[in-house]
Amino acid sequence: MDNLITWAGWVGGIGVGLVVILLFLTTGKALGVSSAYGEVCGMAGQPVYQRGSFSGPKWRLFFALGLPIGGAIAVLTSGISWVPTWDMGTLYPSVLPASIWARGAVLVCGGALIGVGARMAGGCQSGHAITGMALLNPPSVLAGGLFFVGGIVSVQALFQFLG
Amino acid sequence: MRTTAAQIDDAPASDAPDMTPLHPALFLPFGAIFGFVLSRAGATTYDYYAGLFLFSDLQLLWVIAAGAATGAVGIAVMKTRKARALLTGETISFVGKPFQRQLIPGSLLLGLGWGLAGACPGTVLAMLGEGKLNALFTIAGILLGTWLYGLFDRSAGANGR
Repeated sequence: MDNLITWAGWVGGIGVGLVVILLFLTTGKALGVSSAYGEVCGMAGQPVYQRGSFSGPKWRLFFALGLPIGGAIAVLTSGISWVPTWDMGTLYPSVLPASIWARGAVLVCGGALIGVGARMAGGCQSGHAITGMALLNPPSVLAGGLFFVGGIVSVQALFQFLG
Repeated sequence: MRTTAAQIDDAPASDAPDMTPLHPALFLPFGAIFGFVLSRAGATTYDYYAGLFLFSDLQLLWVIAAGAATGAVGIAVMKTRKARALLTGETISFVGKPFQRQLIPGSLLLGLGWGLAGACPGTVLAMLGEGKLNALFTIAGILLGTWLYGLFDRSAGANGR
């Protein structure tokens, strides 16, 4: 599966930064993704998200819907065929449950932490860590640093106790 | 450079309602470009997430650092030139997200989930597009978490913009 073409990290980073610039320069919007999940919850009937900036469908939802298209294009231009897979590489499978449903439960929990956390923090990796740090916005720099702290804690714990 | 300045001067003087709002569907191709770049950057590969937090492979640290740095340079240039968004003609606002009360615990929770699921709200959607089916669980989880937050949000802000 991971015969995907991968650029060197700094090259990929420059690419990501250029997308942030492109979005600002053409549309004036600050790149971010997690609010799109709020728009979906609003459309599904969660009242909190039916007001203000979350009352969808807005631009963030469409931006988010474009992401899978980009992922598919990335596969198809890597010279490999597009095949659905449960593969997770080598590291996570060494600590996560082998059964798909047990592993899925762990991923649902991880996702739920991401969902709650992103709303409490007011953004996720794209809005805070990339766009926010590019804006040199102090709350975003703090958020970005704390994302890392959380990630280090959970992954180190996983590999310490289960690895 | 002269041309740019002239264009800026010629732009309508009012910041006003004559600007047509962009159709939301216009953002689909921008998302596709972002998804493609995230994949090429390795941000859709689970091993890079584990490697980042185990300090064994810093691919994604470089992506984030170079991404923020590149963005910072571009934003500095656009700020100095008081750039207007090409599709709307409006002066671009570079105001960052405000500090909010739950930012610190929220960021820590998000980080825990980031490590546990090996994905972010954006990259997991690109992973799905690549055919990585585990992304379905994570996406369901993010929707669940966002929904649960909504149950407890009393300020009606739903925190974000």
